[in-house]
Amino acid sequence: MHPDREAYLVNRNVLSRRVLAGVALAALALTGCASNDNSTEPGSNSGGDSAYANLSGELKASGASFPDAYYQEVIEAFKGEAGKVTVTYNATGSGTGKKQFGEGLVDFAGTDSLVKDTDGVAAGSFLYVPTVAAPITISYNLQGVDKLQLSPETLAKIFQTDIKTWDDAAIKADNPGVTLPSTPIVVAHRSDGSGTTSNFTKYLDAAAAGTWKLGSGDTVNWPASTQGGEKNTGVAQIVQQTNGAVGYVDLSDAKATGLKFAAIKNKDGQFVEPTIEGTTAGLEGAEIAADLSYNPLNAAGATSYPITAPTFIIVKTSYGDAAKADLVKGFLTYLLNDGQDLAKEIDFAPLPASLKEKALAQVDKIQG
Amino acid sequence: MSVTAPPATRPATGGPDLTRAALSGRRRFTNHLATAAIWGAVLLAVIPLALVAYTVIGKGAGVMSLSFLTEDIPNSYRREGGGMAPAIIGTLVITGAAALMAIPLGVFGAIYLNEYGKQKPLARVIRLMADVMTGVPSIVMGLFVYISWVLLVGQQTGFAGALALACLMLPVVIRSSEEMLRLVPEELRQASMALGARKWKTTLTVVLPAAISGITSGSLLAVARAAGETAPIIIVTGIVFTPNWNLFDGSNTALPAQIFRNASTSFPAAQDRAWGAALTLIVIVLSFTVIARFISSRFAIKER
Repeated sequence: MHPDREAYLVNRNVLSRRVLAGVALAALALTGCASNDNSTEPGSNSGGDSAYANLSGELKASGASFPDAYYQEVIEAFKGEAGKVTVTYNATGSGTGKKQFGEGLVDFAGTDSLVKDTDGVAAGSFLYVPTVAAPITISYNLQGVDKLQLSPETLAKIFQTDIKTWDDAAIKADNPGVTLPSTPIVVAHRSDGSGTTSNFTKYLDAAAAGTWKLGSGDTVNWPASTQGGEKNTGVAQIVQQTNGAVGYVDLSDAKATGLKFAAIKNKDGQFVEPTIEGTTAGLEGAEIAADLSYNPLNAAGATSYPITAPTFIIVKTSYGDAAKADLVKGFLTYLLNDGQDLAKEIDFAPLPASLKEKALAQVDKIQG
Repeated sequence: MSVTAPPATRPATGGPDLTRAALSGRRRFTNHLATAAIWGAVLLAVIPLALVAYTVIGKGAGVMSLSFLTEDIPNSYRREGGGMAPAIIGTLVITGAAALMAIPLGVFGAIYLNEYGKQKPLARVIRLMADVMTGVPSIVMGLFVYISWVLLVGQQTGFAGALALACLMLPVVIRSSEEMLRLVPEELRQASMALGARKWKTTLTVVLPAAISGITSGSLLAVARAAGETAPIIIVTGIVFTPNWNLFDGSNTALPAQIFRNASTSFPAAQDRAWGAALTLIVIVLSFTVIARFISSRFAIKER
């Protein structure tokens, strides 16, 4: 055999061994991965101690984006108190949160809207824990207009695109003495299933009855000419970038984005800007149901901001796992006590004292 | 001898003049026009690429730093600073696991199709299915894994993401590898057989090495595509703010998902992080490509 040819064949052999080794390695890695699947979770047997430092483990949650900024702030603070606990809140929107809670993918879910039969969560298997409340702002972007007042009827007409430009007679009537440009109105709304949408449309249903025709819910059939954004921050982004845009965004995100927002005419006929004080005023007038669900929308009172939304965390009545239940209890207790102080700093309204006590009692009902 | 006249000297008379100068004006014009058109087309194709690179580097380089690559993702979008370490780790681990599942399976599938199956009914069905699978939108793959794995296991994990990405990569690997195997000359196989090698040995030691460079390129395209997938990751892996190396326990995250999340907010700090994540992702995919090219050039047979 020619020496070159021989060397070539030897190379081939080396090559084949390399290929074989590669394949074997890949197969090994695969089986290795598969066997990991059965690895046991680190069992945490810490007892039901109220001190957060004794807690350890992981909590997964998803849901409403409306209180996301607040929950993330609380989670970050909770890290300092309970170093061995990891809490992850995924702002997926109330709709997805409730669905994943029903499917058992998350330990608790955040939602701004109440659970319906179609959400996939069995009635009686969960508890509402009210956490904070916040105003939903009507944020707008209109060059040259820094102050805007809107009545519920005008608001309804804008969002169902009956009114197409900013200099419409109805808007002018709400804003005497303000020069409005003829810029076309771009309506921004949530594209995902959203508790903010639910609360906003519920408000329009109540305050602009007869004018508002789209109904209410986590999603509604918006007219085709409107624009959809993901999460509160997505709607804020559309408003921020589009001249003539208007959308509904939580106060915290609207303020952090630097958006301008309108004063809304409340039940007493006063135009009120969204503020924490206005929200607290709205909360006091709200009627609280036995399951702790409450509705502060369109509350009476001269200083109440009318589009005030509650937000809840839904937890299982029974976790079937004492350690998990203790974790949930620990986190929520922290959120309702120390966590409430963080709310105002980032533009959320803490719960009134009476409601807070009820919420804490609700947390105690969680079983292992 | 008169037969071997030096080739440099052109025959003075007779044969046609093939120099440029002899071209008619019209032909020369057409030639220049075609050359210009081709250059124009090349430029046109490069413009978007250059613009993307320019924008991503311009906006992403500002936030790029060691701490960006090693720190946790801040819980609050609006907070400045923080990094993308969990997403980088997630991307590497999830895409790596997906590649480990899809590439061997895909290459074996391609070997079956080209060396054994040929035009048998089963091979035809597999080929058709692979083609259909290539066209399945990634979000559908995400939902498929959500229903068939995530709900079954009861939690969102990195492995679920790897499964979805592997499903997306598999048809690309199968079809591209098969094309590459088909390009290997039949004579090579026959020569190997004639030397007494069995079919498996021929395939493993002759056909595969001959096609390895092309197979690597095809697999790499699949990996690059998978590394940039957003929709299935968002659906099946959940989110984490701290690194999670465990594919099978706990949620995970990846760079594309973080780009989407951060870019769709209205906060400058988050948008900066999105640009940084985009730059990181491009660099990761690019370095994958370079490494794989290097490996495949080492493996490839020089003499054909």
